[in-house]
Amino acid sequence: MKNPILGTTAAVLMASAMPALAQDCPIKVGVLHSLSGTMAISETTLKDTMEMLVEQQNEAGGVLGCQLEAVVVDPASDWPLFAEKARELLTVHEVDVIFGNWTSVSRKSVLPVIEELNGLLFYPVQYEGEESSKNVFYTGAAPNQQAIPATDYFLEELGVEKFALLGTDYVYPRTTNNILESYLKSKSIAAEDIFVNYTPFGHSDWSKIVADVVALGADGKKVGVISTINGDANVGFYKELAAAGISADDIPVVAFSVGEEELAGLDTSNLVGHLAAWNYFQSAESDANEAWVEAWKARMGEDRVTNDPMEAHYIGFNMWVNAATAAGTTDVDAVREAMYGQEFPNLTGGTAVMLPNHHLSKPVLIGEIQDDGQFDIISQTPEVPGDAWTDYLPESAVLKSDWQELGCGMYNTSTSTCVQIKSNY
Amino acid sequence: MSRLLIIFWCLICAVPVAAQDADAPIQQVMQAHAVELAKASRRTIQPAIDALIDSGLPAAQMVLERWQAKEMWQDEATGLFVFAEEIDRDTIRIFDVSGPDIGEVPDEGYKQLKPNSGVRGLIAAALVKFQLTSDSPAIRRVALDAIARDPKESHLPALRDAIAVEPSPNLAAQMERLERLLTIPFGATEEDQIDAIAYFEGDLGVDVRAALNPLVSTTIKVAKAPPEDPAVIRVLKPGTDALPKPDAYALLVADDLAPPLIPDTAVRETLIANIEDGKVAGVQVATLSTVQARNAAFATLVAEGRANPAATEQEIDDRLDAYQFFELYTGAPAVALAAQSVLSGIETKVALNQTADLALDAISLASIYFLAAIGLAITFGVMGVINMAHGEFIMLGAYTGYVVQLFIPDHTLSILLAIPLAFMVTFAAGVAMERLVIRWLYHRPLETLLATFGVSIALQQLAKNIFGTQARPLTAPGWLDGSMVINDIVAISYIRIAILILALIFLAVFLIVMNRTRLGLEVRAVTQNPRMAASMGINPDRINMLTFGFGSGIAGIAGVAIGLYAKVTSEMGADYIVQSFMTVVVGGVGNIWGTLLGAAMVGTLQKGIEWLNPSNTLAAQTYMILFIILFIQFRPRGIIALKGRAAEA
Amino acid sequence: MTHTSSFDQKYREGSSNGHHRSRRDGRRAGPQSRPFIQRHPSVMIFIACLALFTLTVSVLSEGFGVGLISTSFVKTLGKTLCLCLVALAMDVVWGYCGILSLGHMAFFGIGGYAIGMWLMYARTELIVIQSLAAAPLPPTAQEISQGIATQIFGVVGASEFPPIWAFAHSLPLQLAAVVLVPGLIALAFGWLAFRARVTGVYLSILTQAMTLALALYLFQNDSGLRGNNGLSGLQNLPGQGATPQSTISLWFLWASALALGLGYVFCAWMVSGKFGSVIRAIRDDEARVRFLGYSVEAYKLTVFTVTAIIAAIAGALYYPQAGIINPAEIAPIASIYLAVWVAIGGRGRLYGAVIGAAFVSLLSTWFTGGQAPDTNLGVYTIQWVNWWTVLLGLSFVVVTLLAPKGIGGLFDLIGKGRKP
Repeated sequence: MKNPILGTTAAVLMASAMPALAQDCPIKVGVLHSLSGTMAISETTLKDTMEMLVEQQNEAGGVLGCQLEAVVVDPASDWPLFAEKARELLTVHEVDVIFGNWTSVSRKSVLPVIEELNGLLFYPVQYEGEESSKNVFYTGAAPNQQAIPATDYFLEELGVEKFALLGTDYVYPRTTNNILESYLKSKSIAAEDIFVNYTPFGHSDWSKIVADVVALGADGKKVGVISTINGDANVGFYKELAAAGISADDIPVVAFSVGEEELAGLDTSNLVGHLAAWNYFQSAESDANEAWVEAWKARMGEDRVTNDPMEAHYIGFNMWVNAATAAGTTDVDAVREAMYGQEFPNLTGGTAVMLPNHHLSKPVLIGEIQDDGQFDIISQTPEVPGDAWTDYLPESAVLKSDWQELGCGMYNTSTSTCVQIKSNY
Repeated sequence: MSRLLIIFWCLICAVPVAAQDADAPIQQVMQAHAVELAKASRRTIQPAIDALIDSGLPAAQMVLERWQAKEMWQDEATGLFVFAEEIDRDTIRIFDVSGPDIGEVPDEGYKQLKPNSGVRGLIAAALVKFQLTSDSPAIRRVALDAIARDPKESHLPALRDAIAVEPSPNLAAQMERLERLLTIPFGATEEDQIDAIAYFEGDLGVDVRAALNPLVSTTIKVAKAPPEDPAVIRVLKPGTDALPKPDAYALLVADDLAPPLIPDTAVRETLIANIEDGKVAGVQVATLSTVQARNAAFATLVAEGRANPAATEQEIDDRLDAYQFFELYTGAPAVALAAQSVLSGIETKVALNQTADLALDAISLASIYFLAAIGLAITFGVMGVINMAHGEFIMLGAYTGYVVQLFIPDHTLSILLAIPLAFMVTFAAGVAMERLVIRWLYHRPLETLLATFGVSIALQQLAKNIFGTQARPLTAPGWLDGSMVINDIVAISYIRIAILILALIFLAVFLIVMNRTRLGLEVRAVTQNPRMAASMGINPDRINMLTFGFGSGIAGIAGVAIGLYAKVTSEMGADYIVQSFMTVVVGGVGNIWGTLLGAAMVGTLQKGIEWLNPSNTLAAQTYMILFIILFIQFRPRGIIALKGRAAEA
Repeated sequence: MTHTSSFDQKYREGSSNGHHRSRRDGRRAGPQSRPFIQRHPSVMIFIACLALFTLTVSVLSEGFGVGLISTSFVKTLGKTLCLCLVALAMDVVWGYCGILSLGHMAFFGIGGYAIGMWLMYARTELIVIQSLAAAPLPPTAQEISQGIATQIFGVVGASEFPPIWAFAHSLPLQLAAVVLVPGLIALAFGWLAFRARVTGVYLSILTQAMTLALALYLFQNDSGLRGNNGLSGLQNLPGQGATPQSTISLWFLWASALALGLGYVFCAWMVSGKFGSVIRAIRDDEARVRFLGYSVEAYKLTVFTVTAIIAAIAGALYYPQAGIINPAEIAPIASIYLAVWVAIGGRGRLYGAVIGAAFVSLLSTWFTGGQAPDTNLGVYTIQWVNWWTVLLGLSFVVVTLLAPKGIGGLFDLIGKGRKP
C-alpha cells in the first residue's frame, strides 16, 4: 500500500459507515505464488498483480463491507511445499480464497489439500486440461482455447501441411501434443507428417533440432512449428532459428508459452512474424486494457509488461468479488454456486463468462512478434468456452464436467455415471 | 478529458475527412470486395486480389503493397479504405487510396487491416508480376523469394520473360534455376518436365526434393488382378510391413469388397443390450467379470441367433487372398520414374551430407564443452583442486558480458570489451576464492569440494538477487548473425564457428603458457612436487593463486561465449558443471589433450544418441551420462592416463 | 589421497577425540562384556529425547485435540525426522567411512517412488472399482486395470501401464522394492566403482553423475513414472478417506520417530565394534587397511548399500507426508544439501548428523517460508526469502574452514568444560 495511513483511515471510515454484517473482517485472500526459485520470475509478477488488485478493490470499498487482506506465502518453486503452504493458508491463516500456482505439478500438489479442506483456488495459467476439481476455477486457457485454434490458424490461414511439435519434456507439452496429434489426424494429416521432439528444461543446443525441422520441408509440404518449449530454453531456440535464417514466411513458429515477459530476454528483431497464441496480449486495444497497463506501469515501472496470466487473475479476482457480493458471504460453497454464469468484461474487449465446468469462455488471440518485443494481434476469435476434457482423445471425449447441474467433474456420458467426485491428481 | 480531445479532433478533422474520394476507380474495386478485404482470410481473399490485379489500375500495385505492409485502414463509418501512418498511439495521418494526403485524425473510427502472413504470401505472389521487372535488384529478389515460397503456374511465363531482360548475372542464374524448378510441376508437356527434372541431377537443395517428392507419391489399390498400367510399381502381400493385414482389410472395406469387422467392444455392448432380469443368455450378470465368461455368454447369444458372430481369422484371410494389392504412382509414370531416378541419386548425397552436418554439430558441441571445461582442466587437472563453483564463474563471465552491453550499445565493441573484462572479473573472483577458501584445504579435497559448493550456492543466489531469475539478453554482433551455409543440408551458425575458434585459441594459449613460459614451468614444478619447487625458489602460494586465477578467468570468457549462443541465467553454470567434470575426468586428469578428447567424445556421443532417437533429446543426455559412468568404471583414469609421479597428485 | 599434512593429522586426531567411547572400546579386552546400550549411553539419551519429543508433539497436535501445533507443522516435524534418518545414513557413509556420496538423496527418492506407486495405484483402484460398480456388467480385471491406467496416466497423455508398474498393486511387493531397488542399484554401482578403485572426489563426482542420470531419466515421460509431474496425492492413504489428515499426520510422525530410533540404534551398533573400527580406518587411510589384509571393497560396499537402504526407507516415510514426489526431488542439489546438513551438524558423530539435519532443514523452512522478518539495514532491506541461500552457502564455507566439527563440536566443549 502506497499510503498506509490513508488506507487505514479509509478502512476505519468504511467500517463505521457500513452496517454490521455477519462477515468476519478483514476478508483474507491467499496468494500462493513462488517468490523464489526457478518459477519466481513468472510467479512474482502474479503476486504483484494480486496485491494491486486487492489494493484497487480496497480503494473501491472492499467486499461485503470488509477490507481485503492479501496473505502472501512463498512456496519457493518447491512442489511439496505448495501443498504445505496451501494447508497453512487454509488452516492457520484461514483465508477465504486462494489465487495461485503456475506449473501443473504445483497444482497437482495442492489439489488434494484444497479438496480435503474445501478451499477455493483460482488458477491463472494456460494448462493441459484433463482435470476438473470442485474447488478450483481455471481462469487460464484449456487446450481448446489456445492450442486448437492456433492449429486451425496454421491449417487454414497459413496452409501448413506438416507439423513439428517441439516441446519441453513435461506434462503440459506432452498432453497438448497428444491432443494436437490426435486433432491433426482427424484433419487428415498423416502420422508421418507430424514430427515430435521433447527437450529438457533449459535446453540450449538446438542446432540439430532446427536442422531436423528444416529437413522436414523436403517432401514439398509447408512446414509449421508448434512450440510448447518452456522458459529459458526459448532463448537458445529462437537464437538458433534466427541464425539458421528461418523466416516466419518459410517456417512459421507458434508458441504457447512465450509471452511479453519471455520476449524481454531476447533480441526480437530476427523473430518478427513468428507467432504466439494467448487469450490476451498487452497490445489489445480496449479502454479497460489501457487503464490496466497504465496502472501496472505506474506501480511497477515503465519497462514492465503485462501478460496473459495477469489478465486471468484480473478476471478471476473480479468475478470472485462479484460472486461473493452476490452470495452475501465468502463461504466457499455459496461463492462457488454464485460463480456459475458470472460475467466480467475481459481486457481484450469482450465478456468472459464462468461456465459450470469451472472454465472461462474467452477469445483466442494470435499475435505476430514485433521488433519491440510486443505482439501484433492479427487474429481474434469470438469467445470460446473452455473444455476441461478434450474431445480429441478417445478416453476423455466421453467425459464431461458440470458442477452446477451434475455435481460431477468427471462425468462419463457414455455410461452416465460420475467417475469420481475428487479430481484426479 | 480524452473524450473532449476526440470531439476537438473531430471538429478540426471534419473538413479533411470529407475530402476522401469515394468514387476513385480503385476505391470502387476495393469496395466491391470490402468484406473479404476487411476480414482477410487466405481461403477467401484470392478473388479480391485477382480483381485488384485484373483492374489494370496503376494504383493497384500501391494498394497491394501498402496493404501487405499493414498500412491500410478502413473508415468504420463509411467503409472506405485509406492508407495511414501512425503518428502516435491515438493519432494517424491518412491518405486517400488514390494518393492525396488527407491529414491527421484520431484513430477512433478507423480500423487497421492486418493481413496475416498467409494472406501476405498471396499478396506477395500477386505482386510478383510487377516486381520481376522492377528497376531495383532488391525488389526483384523479393519477387524471386515470393515465387520460391509459393510457386504458381502463372509465375512461369512471367519468370521466363524476366530472365530474358535480367541484367544481373547473379539474379539471372537464380531465375534460371527457379524457372527449371517451376517447370517440374507446371511444365507444358511430360518431356518438358523430364528435362527440368534432369537439370537437378545431384542437387542438394531442399526445394528440389520438395518439387520432386510429390511426383513420386504412391497409393495402394486393390483389385482381382493388377491392371496393365506402367504406373504400377509392385504387388504387395497383406501381412507384410508395407501392408499390415488390418490396413489391407480396411482397403477392402473402403471399396465395398468385404463387410466391416465387428469391433471388440461389440461383445460388451451386445451383452448389455441383452440383459433380461439380471441375466444374459441365462447367465447371471454378476458372474460376467471375466473375458472368458463374457465370450461364453456371447457365444450363446450367437447360437441363439441374437447376435452376429465376429469374423474369424480364417475368414479374413480368405477374403484378403481373393484380391491382389498393388502400389502405383499417383502421377504420370514417366515423370515419376525420371524423378525417382534423380531422387535416388540425391538421397545418397543427402545421407552423406547429413552425416557431415551431424559431425559439425558434434564438433560444435564438443567445442562448447571444451571451452566450459578448459578452466576446470587447469584447476582440477593441473592443480588437483575441485572447484564446484566453476559453473558459477562461467555465469559470472556471462553476466559481465550482459552488464557491458547495458553500457555499450555497440555489440562489436561491447563483446571485444566484455571478453577481457570477463577474464578480469573471474580472475579476481578466482584469486579471492583461492586466497580465502581453497588454500586452507589443499590437502582435504573432499572439503574443498564442499566448500566450493557453498560458494557456488551463494553465488548463484546472489546472481538471482541482483539480476533476477529471468534470462538476460547477450546479443552477438551483427557480423556473427546467420550461418555459414555450405548447402541446404550442411550449415553451421557463425557464432558456433566463433566458439570453435575461441576454443582452439585457448588450447593454444594453454599449451604455450604451460610449455613455453616461466609461469608454466613453475606451475608444473609446483604441481609435481611443491616442496622441491619451493626449495628452488618458487613461491608455491603465488603460483597456486595465479594458476587458479588463470583457470577461473578462462571460465569467465567461456561464459561470454556460451551466453552468446544460448542464454544468460543464474542457473547456466549448473547446466555445465557436471558435463565439464565428466569431460575432464573422461579425458584424463592433468592432460589438456585428454580434455580435448573427452569433449570430443561427450559431444559426439550426445549427438549420436540424439540421431538415434530424434524425438527425445532428454533421453540422449540421460544415456550419455550413464555411458560415461560406465566408461569411468572401466577406465578410471580417463582416456589419456597419466603415469608415474604426476598420477599420484 | 596419499598426502597427509600435519594439519590434516591434527584435524583427524581432533575428530577422533570426540569418540573417546569407541577408543575405550578398542582398548577393552572383550567388547561384548557389557550390553550395547550401556556402552553407548548417548544412544539412550537420544532415544529418550526422541520419545519425549514425539510424545509432546502428539499431545499438542490437532489430532489429539489440543491443537497448539497445526497439522501442517506436525507434517513438517514428521518430515524432519525422516530427513534426520537419511542424514544418519549420510553420516555413516561419509563421516565414518569417508565416502562422500552425492547420491543418497537419489536413494531417498527411489524409496519415495516405490511406496508412491502403491499409494497411487491402490487409491485409484478404489475409485475405479467404485465408479465401475454402477456399470451394467461387472468389470473384468482388464477393465479395472485399464481404468486405473487411464486415471493415473491420463494427465500425462497415456493410458496404459508401463512394465515398471507390474508390482504396484501389491503393498508387500512395493515395500520390498523400497529396500531392494535402491539396494541393488547401490550394490551394482558400488561394486563397479569400488572395484575400479574410484575414490575421493572422483567417486563424489561419479555419484553426482549417477544422481543426475536418474533425475533426467525420471524427468522423461517415457520412463513411465509420470515424468515431471511425478506421483501426487500420496498423503491420501487408500481406504482411509474418512480419516482426517490430522490423524494420518500423527501416524506418520510415530512411524518416522520409530524408524529414526531404530535407525539410530542400528547405525550406532554398526559404527561400534570391529566393523566400525575398520570403516573408520578406511576413511583415514585406505591403503594401509588394504595392506593389513582387509577387503576394503567389501566393507565399503556394505556400508554404501546398507546406508542406501536406510535412505530409501526414510524416503518411503517422507513422501507420503510431503504428498508429492517428482524428479526435482532427486536433482543433485538435494544430495549436496544433505552433505551440508551433516557437515554443519558435525560429521563422524551420529547425533551431529541428526542435529544438523533438523536444525538446517527447519531453519530453511522458516526462512524460505517467508516467516523470517525482513531485516532493514537502512540502505537495503534484506528479504530473507532471497538471501537465505546466500547465507547458507557462506555459512557452509565458514563451517568447513573454521569449524570442521560443526554444531556437534559444541558438545565437546561442554564435555571438556565439565571434566577437569
